[in-house]
Amino acid sequence: MTRLAVVTGAARGIGRAIGERLQVDGYTVVGVDIGDGLAETSFDPVQLDLTDPTGVATVANTVRDLDGDLAALVNNAGITRDARLVNLTESAMEAVLDVNLGAAYHLSAALAPLLVEGGAIVNLASRAYLGNFGQFNYSMSKGGVVGLTRAMALDLAPAVRVNAIAPGLIATEMSMAIPDDIRQAMVEKIPLGRMGEPIEIADLVAYLLQPGYITGHVFVVGGGRSLA
Amino acid sequence: MTPTPPAVVDASRRVADWEEAKTLLMMAFSVSQDAARKDTPIVYIIHGDDLLGRRGAPSAMVATGLLSAARTAALELAGRRVPVNVVAVGDETELEVRDRWVLRLAEPDGPTGEVIRLDPGHIGKALP
Repeated sequence: MTRLAVVTGAARGIGRAIGERLQVDGYTVVGVDIGDGLAETSFDPVQLDLTDPTGVATVANTVRDLDGDLAALVNNAGITRDARLVNLTESAMEAVLDVNLGAAYHLSAALAPLLVEGGAIVNLASRAYLGNFGQFNYSMSKGGVVGLTRAMALDLAPAVRVNAIAPGLIATEMSMAIPDDIRQAMVEKIPLGRMGEPIEIADLVAYLLQPGYITGHVFVVGGGRSLA
Repeated sequence: MTPTPPAVVDASRRVADWEEAKTLLMMAFSVSQDAARKDTPIVYIIHGDDLLGRRGAPSAMVATGLLSAARTAALELAGRRVPVNVVAVGDETELEVRDRWVLRLAEPDGPTGEVIRLDPGHIGKALP
């Protein structure tokens, strides 16, 4: 039977690397994204806004219509709207919560009943859940993803495992948009001396989707930045 | 010197759904921003079971979201010695005990970015 994996934010960056890595493992990947980059992938594309309630229902219906078992959900879609707390706007706060946390919650709730026994969910949090200057909204949203992971791990056990990955600075379009001098200063604070690569996150996702004894855990993948 | 009374967000109740969770988090943002602009300490009150995910996803998202928000706000306000902390209560925690810890965690020479858990239910479990 075909194994299906739903990956959100799959058009580029970490999400795209995850989808491509899961294809190597034999999954048929349903790639979900609000942008149009899905056309450049070989995923089953679903282009929509996950903050729209009909969007979540559309993803669930797409999975039902495909010939296969839903074995994996990867909640990766996320945005940033950075500002110090004193300057943060209500709209930036709300947008980040809706995309990073609300969409993950709603999609998980909609797809959990469709997951096969032995299936798994991996949520992409961020090292910012440990605290990060200028990211009150993002940090709160990713902290919420950690709570979502823990609660769903308890709720869905023993049939489905739920874990999270908290990446640090990863070499994506989003990171490369940071001014060179600021990005270099960030890299200098990373004990391993470099940004992570999307495939390094994707490899861990693939591992966590394999049968195992880990659930409710958060893996910080940041080159040691959570210590230094 | 008398410590500045903190801005307090009580999010220790059980949360039913995303709408309620989002409302609480947005309210916490509003209170926190107002406090930060006035250099007022901030204390979030949550339920310890929610740090572990024991009372369902909406409650857990609020508790762990506020813990992360406290860490980031603490970073931003540390330079002005304005603490931001979290108190995690249990079902049996007396209000007087809770309120005493809220005031302690608002002291400028005390901890910041920390969570104090007043119920022993967390022992042997992993902190988010």
